[in-house]
Amino acid sequence: MVFDQEILEQINEITTHYPAEHKKAALLPVLHAVQDRYTYLSVAVLDAVADLLQLKKIEVYEVATFYSMYWLEPHGKYVFEVCQTGPCMLKGCDHIISYISKTLNIKPGETTADGLFTLKTVECLGACGYAPMMQLGKNYCEHLTTDKIDKIIADCKKNAQS
Amino acid sequence: MSKKLLLQNIHIEGIRNYDIYRKNGGYTSVEKALKMTPDAIVEEVKQSGLRGRGGAGFPTGMKWSFIAKPAGVPRHLVCNADESEPGTFKDRYLMEHIPHLLIEGLIISSFALGSNHSYIYIRGEYAWIATILERAIAEAKQNGWLGKNILKSGFDCEIYVHRGAGAYICGEETALLESLEGKRGNPRIKPPFPAIKGLWERPTVVNNVETLAAVVPIINMGASAYAQIGVGKSTGTKLLSACGNINKPGIYEIDMTISVEEFIYSDAYCGGIAHGKKLKACIPGGSSVPILPTHLLLKTAKNETRYMNYESLSDGGFATGSMLGSGGFIVFDEDQCVVKHTYTLARFYRHESCGQCSPCREGTGWMEKILLNIEHGKGRMSDIDLLWDIQSKIEGNTICPLGDAAAWPVAAAIRHFREEFEWHIKNPVECLKRNYGLLKELVTT
Repeated sequence: MVFDQEILEQINEITTHYPAEHKKAALLPVLHAVQDRYTYLSVAVLDAVADLLQLKKIEVYEVATFYSMYWLEPHGKYVFEVCQTGPCMLKGCDHIISYISKTLNIKPGETTADGLFTLKTVECLGACGYAPMMQLGKNYCEHLTTDKIDKIIADCKKNAQS
Repeated sequence: MSKKLLLQNIHIEGIRNYDIYRKNGGYTSVEKALKMTPDAIVEEVKQSGLRGRGGAGFPTGMKWSFIAKPAGVPRHLVCNADESEPGTFKDRYLMEHIPHLLIEGLIISSFALGSNHSYIYIRGEYAWIATILERAIAEAKQNGWLGKNILKSGFDCEIYVHRGAGAYICGEETALLESLEGKRGNPRIKPPFPAIKGLWERPTVVNNVETLAAVVPIINMGASAYAQIGVGKSTGTKLLSACGNINKPGIYEIDMTISVEEFIYSDAYCGGIAHGKKLKACIPGGSSVPILPTHLLLKTAKNETRYMNYESLSDGGFATGSMLGSGGFIVFDEDQCVVKHTYTLARFYRHESCGQCSPCREGTGWMEKILLNIEHGKGRMSDIDLLWDIQSKIEGNTICPLGDAAAWPVAAAIRHFREEFEWHIKNPVECLKRNYGLLKELVTT
């Protein structure tokens, strides 16, 4: 696995944020950057990151497996990460999870057959006052209702076609 | 209406942008602070009575005064923007809408501590806010507030935004430093404290977003004026995140003199319980602090009015009180199930335990399973004492406070709502029916 120039430049910029002798500090942001590019962190990608930052492979694996935002397996084009912690529960997140599950005919953790949607239940995302909510890509969808979910699904399908 | 020190300009259109922020008095505290000595700023913050706004409430000036200053060793200031305590979303509001306030506070604080490279460790999910902060930093740098020789003071400072990647534990300061170094977020054994050996074994101070933002009004108005706001050891203003079954969820800045009752029912704040329902309970300071039933929330055990400040909320200890914590104010209406809510919190802490210490790694999982059983009509009466036993063996037996944070909500739920646990166990069929909404087919027991 060889990274292209664009991502190498991005990684180089990230490493300037830390002292030269502590390059390892760049690991989390670098993993974010390569995941943005390759959608998930395959072993080949992780090994390439280890080479680039001059780390042992295990140092990269142990970080990639610790944090919940890193994907180690492929996932749907659109991932619905629905919060299920207490404050969202008080505002009916169960109904939202149930509705998405029935509408897309998948359970949490599963991806639709067309590869378009993944449903994931997650723990508190810091949007408790705007519950129920979910993360979609790099944005939050808040004050969710079943109507809003219908619209989000329709928009995703439309975007996927164009 | 409480005095506002942090959010008074938040509704000005475009306040997120440098020019408008500056026109409204932004960065004047830096001009003032860079003419002071670093020690004088530390003293000013000490005199202000400012306490850490992340949850622990430790005096900020005192924390700053602990920083070691060995010759030739760089020091660092790290802003904890890993806001992850369920019920808490105040730092996000501040960073999203008035990012320059944090940058301004960071510059003064970096100067006071002698940090030439400061970091904002922000939770990974706040990706768009990281972009907002990076833009604010670039604007500040273009205008001479960051970089080399700021305002010809001889002080150099750079601020970098560092995104986490989804781990509640990284809000704990030593786990945060591990994570910033590119490792798993496993908390360190203290001592040594970060003030002696922190980031890359260098002297480091870790402060919450709101704490650093509060340094701006302290410098602008002076410590004594700041200390006059509030009451007792709860000086200045505090941001509260209000959520749950209330009419007006959101962020409120209060001066810590108002009563809990006023905060819940006044239209200036939460606006009362939604849908005309009754108040059942509240977790007043983020998910880790004890839940209180209405009668102990509005009045203390001594039948005195309870106020929204550090001392009053903890009056009575854990037997009859709670904590102000992070200011995450979670309100339950009369139809909410305390057992179910406690189960979601137990699941949260099991998910977020880093796994280093056995009592926390194993105990959080046991509590989750037992609570799930009780919630789904599969509980036994002995489970309540078993839960009590497990939480008591987690508390105080772990490297970091996550163990305590996982134990306290379970203990408080049993302490104040034991009959609700008993009801679940005695009425297995009814409690499943009562589980409105929960996807039964998704539950694996």
